Amino acid sequence: MSQQQAQPLAGTTIVAVEHVNLDYHKEREPLPVLVDVSMTAKRDELVAITGPSGCGKSTLLRIVAGLIRPSAGKVMVLGSEVKGPRADVSMVFQNFVLLPWRTALENVLFGLSPRKDLTEEQKREKAKAALEVAGLSGFEDVYPGELSGGMKQRVGVARALATEPRVMLLDEPFSSLDDLTAERLRKETYTLLINPQTSVQSVILVSHNVEEIIELADKVVVLSGRPARVVGEVEVKMPRPRNKKSEEFFQWVDKVYTLLS
Amino acid sequence: MTETRPLPTALMMPGNVRAGQVISLVEIAGSIGGKVDVPKLADELGADIAVLLPILDAAEMLGLVRTEKGDVLLTELGLKFQKTTRNKMRMLKDRVATIEPFRTALDLVSRKKVVTAQDVADSLAEIGLKWHYKPDLNEALVRTLLIHWAIYADLLGYDGKSGEFRKAQPKP
Repeated sequence: MSQQQAQPLAGTTIVAVEHVNLDYHKEREPLPVLVDVSMTAKRDELVAITGPSGCGKSTLLRIVAGLIRPSAGKVMVLGSEVKGPRADVSMVFQNFVLLPWRTALENVLFGLSPRKDLTEEQKREKAKAALEVAGLSGFEDVYPGELSGGMKQRVGVARALATEPRVMLLDEPFSSLDDLTAERLRKETYTLLINPQTSVQSVILVSHNVEEIIELADKVVVLSGRPARVVGEVEVKMPRPRNKKSEEFFQWVDKVYTLLS
Repeated sequence: MTETRPLPTALMMPGNVRAGQVISLVEIAGSIGGKVDVPKLADELGADIAVLLPILDAAEMLGLVRTEKGDVLLTELGLKFQKTTRNKMRMLKDRVATIEPFRTALDLVSRKKVVTAQDVADSLAEIGLKWHYKPDLNEALVRTLLIHWAIYADLLGYDGKSGEFRKAQPKP
């Protein structure tokens, strides 16, 4: 998955969420959900967004993806404003969102269907390569119903990677998996995505699992309140791989819990 | 007097164990020194003992661990397996091929080119090897095992549209 465009340098802002507000409307009255949310994700950064259930974490991710328009403020990706879904931003969903009547390869190809610049053969090559990167070589012709939860999520990751996105959005990607599978996939995620072999330049992860966040993130953005605001950011300055049993790890977990409570 | 059938002596992969679970077990056992007692391993894996034991059986069958007086020890192969970063299951190709239902599937594929999970389940049932007493559930378990182990180990290829398994294409 080689990239021909100029690559931003380390430290360059890839995603900027600027003073985003979101209101829903209940009987014509505005119901604020997110208030003045700002955050950034820089080159080679994995930024985690956390907060209590229902606070709007996944909604914020959908705003970054261009699936929801903010009521005020804007999101910039690589210097251009997000005004709808775009090819350089991909998303991996909690419940995989695979088409059960399509094989693994066909599900990945579905993500490439808007690419008019590629021939069918080129799309197949890209889809196969993405499945291989996601650890599913040989599973091209298997249907989602025949795969385990972890393998389904790998298809979701492959589908997102195949489009060669600059920004990868992960919405609670491990929460539908059993502990053993989630642990293994977590270990692989960082090196799989923050890796010069892929096109991905920034990853934004939404999760309510604070240990998972400290294991993976370079920076944590904590949302809280109703409507939700950013109540703090934590830069996780801990070398990788991170030992989940270490005192240092617990201290970082504690910092995030302090902001949440 | 009732006739008793001999118990199957073949190695049978537990029907509910997946390759990824064995990989997790070996990685975690390795990360805590290569020797760990079973309750601690269950705690580290976040798994009940009831879930852990068949995974341990599978890991032992594959020669990755041995159990001694309640401790789990990584074997030399297990240590090597833990350190390998990619295509771990390919390392175990030859061992997986000695375990049922993979052994019978490979034997049938070498003779018939393509086989279904039903063919494999029927062939094994003839020698008394079943994962479930209900034929449809037994066939489903055999298919799941073949997909989750034999494809990972590069032993078989699978076409979900026809439901047929064939010999895997060699990979670089």
